Amino acid sequence: MPGDHRRIRGPEESQPPQLYAADEEEAPAARDPTRLRPVYARAGLLSQAKGSAYLEAGGTKVLCAVSGPRQAEGGERGGGPAGAGGEAPAALRGRLLCDFRRAPFAGRRRRAPPGGGEERELALALQEALEPAVRLGRYPRAQLEVSALLLEDGGSALAAALTAAALALADAGVEMYDLVVGCGLSRAPGPAPTWLLDPTRLEEERAAAGLTVALMPVLNQVAGLLGSGEGGPTESWAEAVRLGLEGCQRLYPVLQQCLVRAARRRDAAAPL
Amino acid sequence: MLGLVMSYQGKPISSQPLKITVLKEDLRVDGRGCEDYRCVDVETDVVSNTSGSARVKLGHTDILVGVKAEMGTPKLEKPNEGYLEFFVDCSANATPEFEGRGGDDLGTEIANTLYRIFNNKSSVDLKSLCISPREHCWILYVDVLLLECGGNLFDAISIAVKAALFNTRIPRVRVLEDEEGSKDIELSDDPYDCIRLSVENVPCIVTLCKIGYRHVVDATLQEEACSLASLLVSVTSKGVVTCMRKVGKGSLDPESIFEMMETGKRVGKVLHTSLQNILHKEESLGTKRQKVGFLG
Repeated sequence: MPGDHRRIRGPEESQPPQLYAADEEEAPAARDPTRLRPVYARAGLLSQAKGSAYLEAGGTKVLCAVSGPRQAEGGERGGGPAGAGGEAPAALRGRLLCDFRRAPFAGRRRRAPPGGGEERELALALQEALEPAVRLGRYPRAQLEVSALLLEDGGSALAAALTAAALALADAGVEMYDLVVGCGLSRAPGPAPTWLLDPTRLEEERAAAGLTVALMPVLNQVAGLLGSGEGGPTESWAEAVRLGLEGCQRLYPVLQQCLVRAARRRDAAAPL
Repeated sequence: MLGLVMSYQGKPISSQPLKITVLKEDLRVDGRGCEDYRCVDVETDVVSNTSGSARVKLGHTDILVGVKAEMGTPKLEKPNEGYLEFFVDCSANATPEFEGRGGDDLGTEIANTLYRIFNNKSSVDLKSLCISPREHCWILYVDVLLLECGGNLFDAISIAVKAALFNTRIPRVRVLEDEEGSKDIELSDDPYDCIRLSVENVPCIVTLCKIGYRHVVDATLQEEACSLASLLVSVTSKGVVTCMRKVGKGSLDPESIFEMMETGKRVGKVLHTSLQNILHKEESLGTKRQKVGFLG
């Protein structure tokens, strides 16, 4: 099978021992459905990237880096009516390229680096959620590259990646309308299921449905939405979206403080 | 849609006149209301080498889906179930942008969405696809071909997939076990002896595009170019939502999201009843049905 020849691999078909484990793990403990795990966020930690951010929420650890703006490849588009506020015409707007990667040891089973469909889907979700917030019209013919690396998956990985990416863009000094805050939700299977905010990995694995919302808190606009599973009727999904938006609003002050601290650190370190 | 925002057929367009009409009068450029679909042509059993196939024409959008059932080993985590594999090919005939590798991104996006909407226990009964646990199961390879692109791809593709799955006939097999314990697979002699899948809970996608302050169902290419954000909702015939996704580079107001979900559910239910009627009518005509195929 083509693939990674640099690492010494086990036999073609190797499986983790957990598949053969006899005992079931204990069910996740009951908890307040609206609790958010404590978040540690730090911006401006990578020296080589224009902007970077590290976010840790429970067991989920995400590192995000932004580089650019640099010249976009394939500039064959022509002009058009100019946008408002001195922005470039629509055909010349900048591009946002997002990349989402999982470390091979991030999940329960080892996943070889070219992760295939899932990573591309999450990268597309990142791009669709960040584009409404970034003023791409101010970067004509340029591209901004955002790459998110998931170091450990402890539940709501996409939401954490979204938040980290927005922090990294802000740290890079990219012009934005607002920060994007992400929040994950999951719905347990069973007769009277409720939506749980910010699920842990155990809760996510047993979930019947999962949802990630991305909100721009000041403008109160939903920048991204991705959900699937047996969520039930539309009222149930609407309730989940409301819960998610509320969670995003609660997370916002933490991110503001993180950016202020990063700016102070940058000031203190700047040569006179 | 890739590269089609704010330009239609290579020329930049202004979305103002469109927004004003849609906003004021619930009237679109082609005379439809905001919640009306274009005329849909569905035909099943168009390709003879497949286990099931369907062709859907929705305005200028033309989709061909073929389902092939093959035997394979079940996944390790789910030893008692078969599974579905989706592949979407954006042919270069659809639009010039799909030439070479251009259509790959869109193809992967659509395939990932299809995986997502089928990623729950109730859509397709996967246990019926199991032949012998841990050893053999049916794998349904659903291959989608985009022949012509006229806007609203996701809806047309989901209708075609549902019709193709309805049409799928999986041969009945038996596993015979010898005294020594070696297993042999026996195919039934009668070519019409097959298992059919129940497509009652197979969802259909409804894409709602936000234009101005209102949202429209089944947008044409021109309307998609004017819309900055859309909501994709996957609804089953009972009104259960299995997937939700925001598409596009704009943002949505939370209230509009709730409205769009309700519209999606309403429109989805109607879509399902009409589709079921057509499929059952085709089925009841049996061999007397006149096949139109690509000649119509």
